[in-house]
Amino acid sequence: MLEIKPIINALRRSKVGAILLLIQIAITTAIVSNAAFIIQDRMTYLQQETGYPEQDIFSITVMTYGKDRDLSQQFEEDEALLRNLPGVVDAALSNAVPLSGSGSASGMGLKPAPEPGRNVRAGYLFGDDHMLNTLGVELMEGRNFASDEVIVTQDPGKVPNVAIVSSTFALEAYPDGDGLGKLMYMGDKPFKIIGIVDKMKGPWLKDDRPDNVVIFPYIKAETYQHIIVRTEPGQRATVMQTVEDKLLAAYDKRVFTNVITLDENKRQYNASDTLMLRMLMVLIVVLVAITALGIFGLTLFNISKRTRQIGTRRALGARKSDIIRYFLVENTLICSGGLIIGCTAAVLMGQQLLQRFSLPALEFQYVAGTAIMVLVMTLVAVIFPARRAAQISPSVATRSI
Amino acid sequence: MLIMKNVSKVYQTEMVQTHALRDFDLEVKEGEFIAVTGPSGSGKTTFLNIAGMLEPYTSGEYMLDDVNVGGLSDNQRADLRNQKIGFIFQGFNLIPDLNLYENVEVPLRYRGIKAAERKKRIESCLEQVGLGSRAKHLPQQLSGGQQQRVAIARALAGEPRFLLADEPTGNLDSLMARQVMELLEQINRDGATIVMVTHDPELARRAPRNIQIVDGQVADLTLYQGVTGQTDRQVVGG
Amino acid sequence: MFLHYIDLGWRSLRRTPLVSFLMVLAIALGIGITMTSLSVYHMMSMDPIEHKSSRLFHPQLQTMDDGEDTWSEDNLPYQLTYQDAKNLAEAPFPQYKAAMLRTGFTVHLDNSEIRPFIQNTRVTHSDFFTLFDLSFIYGSAWTQEQADAASPVAVISEELNQKLFGGENSVGRQIYLDDTSFRIVGVIAPWETHMKFYDVNNGAFNSQESIYIPFSLIAAMDINTWGNSNGWKFQNIRSMKDKRQSEIFWLQFWVQLEDEAAVSQYGDYLMSYMAEQQKFGRFNREQLEYGLRDVNAWLDYRNVVSEDNEVLVALSFMFLAVCLANILGLLLAKFMRRAPEVGVRRALGASKRQVFLQHIIEVSMLGLIGGLMGIGIAQLGLWGVRLTQEYYSPLATMDLTMLLSAPVIAISACVIAGLYPAWLVCRTTPATYLKTQ
Repeated sequence: MLEIKPIINALRRSKVGAILLLIQIAITTAIVSNAAFIIQDRMTYLQQETGYPEQDIFSITVMTYGKDRDLSQQFEEDEALLRNLPGVVDAALSNAVPLSGSGSASGMGLKPAPEPGRNVRAGYLFGDDHMLNTLGVELMEGRNFASDEVIVTQDPGKVPNVAIVSSTFALEAYPDGDGLGKLMYMGDKPFKIIGIVDKMKGPWLKDDRPDNVVIFPYIKAETYQHIIVRTEPGQRATVMQTVEDKLLAAYDKRVFTNVITLDENKRQYNASDTLMLRMLMVLIVVLVAITALGIFGLTLFNISKRTRQIGTRRALGARKSDIIRYFLVENTLICSGGLIIGCTAAVLMGQQLLQRFSLPALEFQYVAGTAIMVLVMTLVAVIFPARRAAQISPSVATRSI
Repeated sequence: MLIMKNVSKVYQTEMVQTHALRDFDLEVKEGEFIAVTGPSGSGKTTFLNIAGMLEPYTSGEYMLDDVNVGGLSDNQRADLRNQKIGFIFQGFNLIPDLNLYENVEVPLRYRGIKAAERKKRIESCLEQVGLGSRAKHLPQQLSGGQQQRVAIARALAGEPRFLLADEPTGNLDSLMARQVMELLEQINRDGATIVMVTHDPELARRAPRNIQIVDGQVADLTLYQGVTGQTDRQVVGG
Repeated sequence: MFLHYIDLGWRSLRRTPLVSFLMVLAIALGIGITMTSLSVYHMMSMDPIEHKSSRLFHPQLQTMDDGEDTWSEDNLPYQLTYQDAKNLAEAPFPQYKAAMLRTGFTVHLDNSEIRPFIQNTRVTHSDFFTLFDLSFIYGSAWTQEQADAASPVAVISEELNQKLFGGENSVGRQIYLDDTSFRIVGVIAPWETHMKFYDVNNGAFNSQESIYIPFSLIAAMDINTWGNSNGWKFQNIRSMKDKRQSEIFWLQFWVQLEDEAAVSQYGDYLMSYMAEQQKFGRFNREQLEYGLRDVNAWLDYRNVVSEDNEVLVALSFMFLAVCLANILGLLLAKFMRRAPEVGVRRALGASKRQVFLQHIIEVSMLGLIGGLMGIGIAQLGLWGVRLTQEYYSPLATMDLTMLLSAPVIAISACVIAGLYPAWLVCRTTPATYLKTQ
């Protein structure tokens, strides 16, 4: 009924056109399914929860060149100044800013060095008892630092003996879930885990352990330093505008740079992923449009080539719907061929990408989804010219020359 | 100037062999005006295509001005066509998006003639067919007879010694047909050799020499004289 | 004849405006997308110092004990320890060599005219300027004596000189780096490359430092790096002095080796250096190992071209292939429809070659128009790239090579797509189309 056989015969006679269409559909399917998968992968990455109220936090970098003040004391005063500003919830000095792509990490030992033992990699932050509140994270277990546990010093020999860790780190170090109260070592220095935070990310979202974070109650004021500030919701922009001048007024032999919000910091760190995402989206949209236009154009051409033949068919009693169906079936046949090749190519290409680049393995539902979308798209591209073909008058068959 | 000996043309398809020409013998002398008639499917057009080197032949020998056409490359045949032969078709075959001037110019360009010389020739040829004032018109702005006259001007522009006309009046009414025929006769008087395929017995009679092709062979003229008039024009024309 | 073909091609494109538009659009988009990713790739993978990239080498030493791992693909550390960098820099061979690290200072003139600002600074040997062919606008590099005495002297960039001194000859003037007064001895012309190829640790495409000071100041002023420090061994580091004596990797090192003989001679030297260091209890290894890569091998090894970009380039070329298949189909249909006209031309004496040429020129014009439009689309794309990723700003531009390649790629692509249809149309038997209409 669907006249598949005569259609196939007709296709065999105009092989090249059909093959070209098939190639286009195949490559389109291969590219789109892989690109869609990469997009999905990056979306998940970019939209992940960091554990911080990013929209309320900002940070400042300060470089002090004056040598006429005691740095530790100066920063204590700065922190007090910041915490008393209207709109500020809390502020803390730190060696690094989470999510910024810049910071420190180390292997935390379960045994004191140089004894051999397992190491667990973690990004670490130095901060006082205001750090948790400043970052806006909540303790899941244990307690915050007591103020007398915070070591404020310029003497590298003096170190604290407690730490607060992220739950991911605690679980990796103590898989039984009993990390609270246990010891861990940085070099030969022991630290007791006194608190566990449910979720917080380290300085690098692309670290192989992005969720492993350790906070030490330690302030070793240095000439190059970061200050993290959390504000009341909606107050951040106002606070950011004036903060530099207020700190400079307190002491001016220093330079403040990089007054930057946490979300902007994260955006900059992830800019290349956003770029990839956008490029791939443009690529997919344009590619699908081009393929659709190609099918559209070719069908138009085929129809004008077959005007007389279509007229003859109409004269012989074909209905308009028969003509439309003819083109739809023809297109579906080509498209199915293209999709079979395209899906295979997509899977092969996915394997290549997996091998060559650090991309995850292509999931099959993306291939299937793309195939369905491409089929629908080709049908849409055909239906308009096919309807036009159906309008051809049967009289063209009898008109000579 | 044209000698065909034992020329055969076989069209081979999957199922059947069709002999379009078989052992075809013909000699055309310089300055002749020959009308070729014959029933539909007899091989008239095949003969003309082979004579014009538009189609290769299967066997036999074809000499054009003492040159054996069979031994020529495609490029040599194209050059020869360009220099010696002018075509006039039933369907005029003007190139639709070139104006009259440019249509006539086509063969001259392929011959590599300089622009000034081309201009001179084109203008004189268009003048000769009476369309000198319409050089800038496009073919679809002209009547059928005018279009055919342009096609003749195009054929003449290359100053061919040999004109091949395939049903030149087939698409024209009788008045226009007569005008075209008169033009051809004039060209023949000016020295060109003309072979014209037609199935209009009246036109054929005006030519000094008539031959008839039946089943791919030159047939005895006297025997078939009566038949030609009954040939179905519609079928051949389509 | 060529001009005539162009005229014919133009008429033919105008005769089917919709199809021509589709084809030009396809090629323009294909080229636009391809050029966007290719331009970034081109800038990323460009040889930053073409005339001597094969003579500049970055040595690596395997200082780690057996069984220790680092991140690199061949397990060699990317950077050197301070002691190795210093020792190698003080070795008699080769002639030009420089150890270096990136740090930073607050720059000011100790007056209120210019508000203090932070500036990246490179601490290095004076050979640095010779190695990387930097030319001086004013003054010169510091002398050996100044280096030996750890004098506070500095070479600054032309840009910084503009900012601080309005571009005038500032040799002999003072600037403050933090609270130390430095005397300017030279001003260098801008670098000719957008790539910080000599130190790719914290972004290979950041701009170069604006201040250069002698290597000996690292010890004299206890300068720490602003770049990466990587350790593998537990050592108690309590001071900068500890760090300088530690096994931490934090310095870069470049040498100039003129020929293969020099390269192998230097390799031998590195082996003997490591063997000698073993006497001090370092290099606890069965097998001594070093790396010696030239600039391009080094950039390749450090994966300076981002993977994402490579994926994009590959995908864009596939995209271009789709556009070509698209054009091929349309050309085929278009040319075959014109077969009767070609039949007439053939009958009038056109050779196959002439017909072929006519059609190839027509598709080349298609390529040219598409290519030029593609440049426009690529500019739009690159603008989007710069907007999304500021770090790529110096990369997301088309240099002359790329501007020229766009139409060349477009035309070649179109010609490739046009070959088959043009061949098909020129080999049709003319007779077939003359009788019927």
